[in-house]
Amino acid sequence: MNGKSLTYGFFPGCAYATAAGYRESVDTVNRQLGIELVEIPDWNCCGATSVFSLNQDDALILAGRLFALAQAQGHEQILTVCNSCYTTLRKAGQMLAQSQTELSRVNVRLSAEGLTLNRLLPVRHYLEILYEDVPADAWSAGRPGYIGRLKVAAYYGCQLTRPWADLDHAERPALLDRFFSRLGFQAVDHSARTVCCGASHALPYEKDCRPMIRRIVEEARRRGAHFISTLCPLCQFNLDSLQKSGEAPPIPVPYFSQLAGLALGIPPQQLGFGKLLIPAENVIARVA
Amino acid sequence: MIDQRLAHEFLQSPKGVKLLHCIQCGTCSSSCPLAACMDHAPRELFALLRDGDMEAVLASNTPWYCVSCYQCMVRCPQEIPVTDIMYLLKQMAAERGMAPAGHKLPDLYRAFAREIEAHGRVSEALLMARYGAHRPFDMLGKAGLGLKLFARRRLELFPRNIHNRANLVLNANHQE
Repeated sequence: MNGKSLTYGFFPGCAYATAAGYRESVDTVNRQLGIELVEIPDWNCCGATSVFSLNQDDALILAGRLFALAQAQGHEQILTVCNSCYTTLRKAGQMLAQSQTELSRVNVRLSAEGLTLNRLLPVRHYLEILYEDVPADAWSAGRPGYIGRLKVAAYYGCQLTRPWADLDHAERPALLDRFFSRLGFQAVDHSARTVCCGASHALPYEKDCRPMIRRIVEEARRRGAHFISTLCPLCQFNLDSLQKSGEAPPIPVPYFSQLAGLALGIPPQQLGFGKLLIPAENVIARVA
Repeated sequence: MIDQRLAHEFLQSPKGVKLLHCIQCGTCSSSCPLAACMDHAPRELFALLRDGDMEAVLASNTPWYCVSCYQCMVRCPQEIPVTDIMYLLKQMAAERGMAPAGHKLPDLYRAFAREIEAHGRVSEALLMARYGAHRPFDMLGKAGLGLKLFARRRLELFPRNIHNRANLVLNANHQE
C-alpha cells in the first residue's frame, strides 16, 4: 500500500459494540486492506452531548483522559467511528488547546492515574482513512458487477461536518458521496445529507423526532435510493428503527463500511448485514 | 436579584458575551429542527437573555430540546456560538437544580453520566434500564424493539467496566 502505514490508535466508542454490523464490516474490510486499528487501552466514554450538557469540567476530563491514554501509547492520531465521538473529541481537544487553565486542571486530575496530557492528537473519522489513506485503486480489483446498479443516498448526519470538523463543508458535504462513487455505487443527489436524525432525543421524544426521520427517508425514496448509508451508530439506529413503513417498503440503512465490503467482493454474511433491523440482503439479491 | 447575578455570570463567560452581537434575525430559529417543541425558539430565548430574564431562560425547556446538530451555529451571520450557549445554559441550570422538571432530557443525561461513573463505558441496555426507572412509560413501547435487538445479538446486558475509574467521578453526579 504505497509503503504508507495504515496503523491507527482506535477509539471505538460505546455504541460500536452493538451497532448493526459496524464492527463486523470494519474488521473484515481492515483485514482485506491491511488496516490495523490498535484499540486505546482502558478507554472511557467520551461523554457525548450528555456530559457537556451537565458540566463542562466533567466533559473535558473524559475527553482529556482519552487524549492522554492515546498519547501515552505513542499514537499519532485518534481514529473514531462515530459522529458524536468525533465531534465531542474534536471540540474538547480544541477547548483544551486554547486554554492553559483548563488543560492544567485536567492534568491535575489525570495525574491521579499517572497520566499527562500535553499533545492533543488529531482526531479523524474512519471515513477519512478509507477515502484519503487507502489508495483509490484498492477498491476496483474485486468489485462485483452488481455494485454499479445500486443507488445509495449518502447520509452524513449533523455533527460530522459541523463547527469543529475539518473534513468537509458544514452543510453541503461531498466526501461520502465521492467515496461511494469511487466504490462504484451510484451516489444519488439529495437534500437530506446533513438533516439531523433526532439523535438521543428520539428515545424520549420519539413523536417529535419522527418528522425528522421521515424527511430523510422520503427524500431518499424520492431519489430512488436502494440504501441510505450512514457513518454514525446513532444515525443508523434511528433511521433503521424509526422508519414507519406505511405503504412503501422501508429503505435499509447499512453502514458505509458494509457497502465498502460489498465493493471489495466480500459476501454480505461476513459484513454483519444480518444485524440490520430492515433487511438489506434481499435488495442486494434483487440487483445481483 | 437572582436574575441579575445569573445574567452577570452568563455575560461574564466568553461564550455568553457573544450574545450581545445578536441581531435577532431568526436564522437560528428557522434552522432548528425542534424549534416547534420549545417554550421559546432560540431567537426569542436570546431576546429574553438580553433582557436579563434569567429565571425564565433557565426554567424554559429550550436548551434541553437542543439536539446539538449545530445547524444554527454554522449559519449564524454574527458567528454567535448558539449551540454552545445552549450548553452553557443547560450547565447553569443543572448546576443549580433549575432544569425544568417536566423535561426528560435532564433525566436521560443524568442517567448517562451515572453509567459513565459506574462503569466507564455506556451500554444502551443498562442506560435504558437506569433511565426507564425514572420514565417507565417511555420504555413501554420498546419491548418489541428490545426483542429484535436481542435476536440480533445487539443487546449488551452486562456492563463493560474499565480498569481505572478514578477520573470518572463526575461533578454532574454530585451536585444539588
